[in-house]
Amino acid sequence: MPDNWGYVFSAYGLAAVALLGYWRRLAGRAKRLARPAVRAGNVRQG
Amino acid sequence: MSVYVRRAWMVVWKDVLAERRSKESLNALVFFSLLLLFVFQFALGPERARVEAALPGLLWLGFILSGLLAFGRAFLIERENDCWEGLVLTPGDKSAIYLGKLAGNVLVMIVVEVVLLVLFAVFFAIDFTPFLLGLAAVLALGTLGLASVGTLFGAVTAQMRARELLFPVLLLPAVVPVLLASVSATQTVLAGEPLAEAAAWLKLLAAADLVYLVVGVLTFEFVLEG
Amino acid sequence: MAARALGWLTVLALIAGLGAAFGWAPREAVQGNVQRIMYLHVPAVLTAYLAFALVFVGSVGYLLTRRAGWDRLALAAAEPGVLFTGITIASGSIWGKPTWGTWWTWDARLTSTAVLFLVYVGYLLLRGMVDEPDRRARAAAVVGILGAANIPIVHFSVKWWRALHQPSTILGPEPSPIAAPIAAALLINWIAFTLLFAYLLAKRMEIAQLEDTHAG
Repeated sequence: MPDNWGYVFSAYGLAAVALLGYWRRLAGRAKRLARPAVRAGNVRQG
Repeated sequence: MSVYVRRAWMVVWKDVLAERRSKESLNALVFFSLLLLFVFQFALGPERARVEAALPGLLWLGFILSGLLAFGRAFLIERENDCWEGLVLTPGDKSAIYLGKLAGNVLVMIVVEVVLLVLFAVFFAIDFTPFLLGLAAVLALGTLGLASVGTLFGAVTAQMRARELLFPVLLLPAVVPVLLASVSATQTVLAGEPLAEAAAWLKLLAAADLVYLVVGVLTFEFVLEG
Repeated sequence: MAARALGWLTVLALIAGLGAAFGWAPREAVQGNVQRIMYLHVPAVLTAYLAFALVFVGSVGYLLTRRAGWDRLALAAAEPGVLFTGITIASGSIWGKPTWGTWWTWDARLTSTAVLFLVYVGYLLLRGMVDEPDRRARAAAVVGILGAANIPIVHFSVKWWRALHQPSTILGPEPSPIAAPIAAALLINWIAFTLLFAYLLAKRMEIAQLEDTHAG
């Protein structure tokens, strides 16, 4: 059977993107919550 | 115990009475079943063999779609005129209210199922009479499973926004085992095989019903608080 | 700073897991290197089950005590749980393409994982629909308890349904006798994923607590 490395890397790559994405969202939320004063500013800009 | 049963019975009686006066739900539901029959016919085309092959699935598709409408309404009527408050203030074990509402939902489903079976028999010329006993067993267990989850989730979502979207989204994946088991057992019964052939599915349905009922009875008081 | 230490430990474990999956574990004889997806697929599904078990624990805990902490546990476990079931389904599907020839078959394990995915996406949707904390926690707890009680029922119904309609001739994607290095690589990745889950859970609970205090 051929090795199909492409499938292996896309599976691991997809998982890595999903997990990193979730982690970054959590980190971003934690940072905004830790500094409530900055948070108000962010809300106005965004 | 008898007080408990009477309390559940009061809920059933009240809903049956309200339904008999207004005839709001049942008329529309029966009409909806008729519409479903047309939809199935148009979707499958005129070939009889296709209808026959898909029959167990079509029947349960009809039941679950009617159930989605019926279960969603059961607690909605309590929102009008602050009836919900009345239910919350009812003294004693709240799970009696759950069982009462469940019994009402099962009654409605039995009517819808009988109507759908008669419609199928007439419009697709299918003779159900040799299978009635087996079919009744499968229908009873399957309906109890659908209704026990449907009643609980109907109560959970009754006070929420986007309720009419959320209710099916929660209910459909949760009742996947009931659908798989019911459709498979119905297939066995309609193939003319003895009911013992479907024994594994019927046991699974019974176990599922029991689990759903226990969860419903134990958690309902927390749902009712509104 | 315990969370930070856990984070770095997780990174180390994940690197070790990748090393074991790609370096140490041998090329599988029948399937070739595509079998290495297993070191992602199996730990992901095991972690998802752990997550949903914790949703159940949090839900029961909340209904019994009415402490917001239990509800935060249920929420913080449900989100990564859905993420890990998603990874399980995606990796199983990618694995299936070269081994079965299609992206999707109604294989028993893939199907029951997909059903679980739908149940808990519904759970998260429900949480988004209610603003009042106690009402949200109670409603979510009921759905979380039923969802967890349903897991074995879903598992058996889907398994029997597959066995009934198509006596499976294709072997599952797993190699039948698991060789020792493969088992060891699986174990290392499983530990790494459990650590990752613990880290995400702690982080999510911390955020939920901060949000609760900000909301008053």
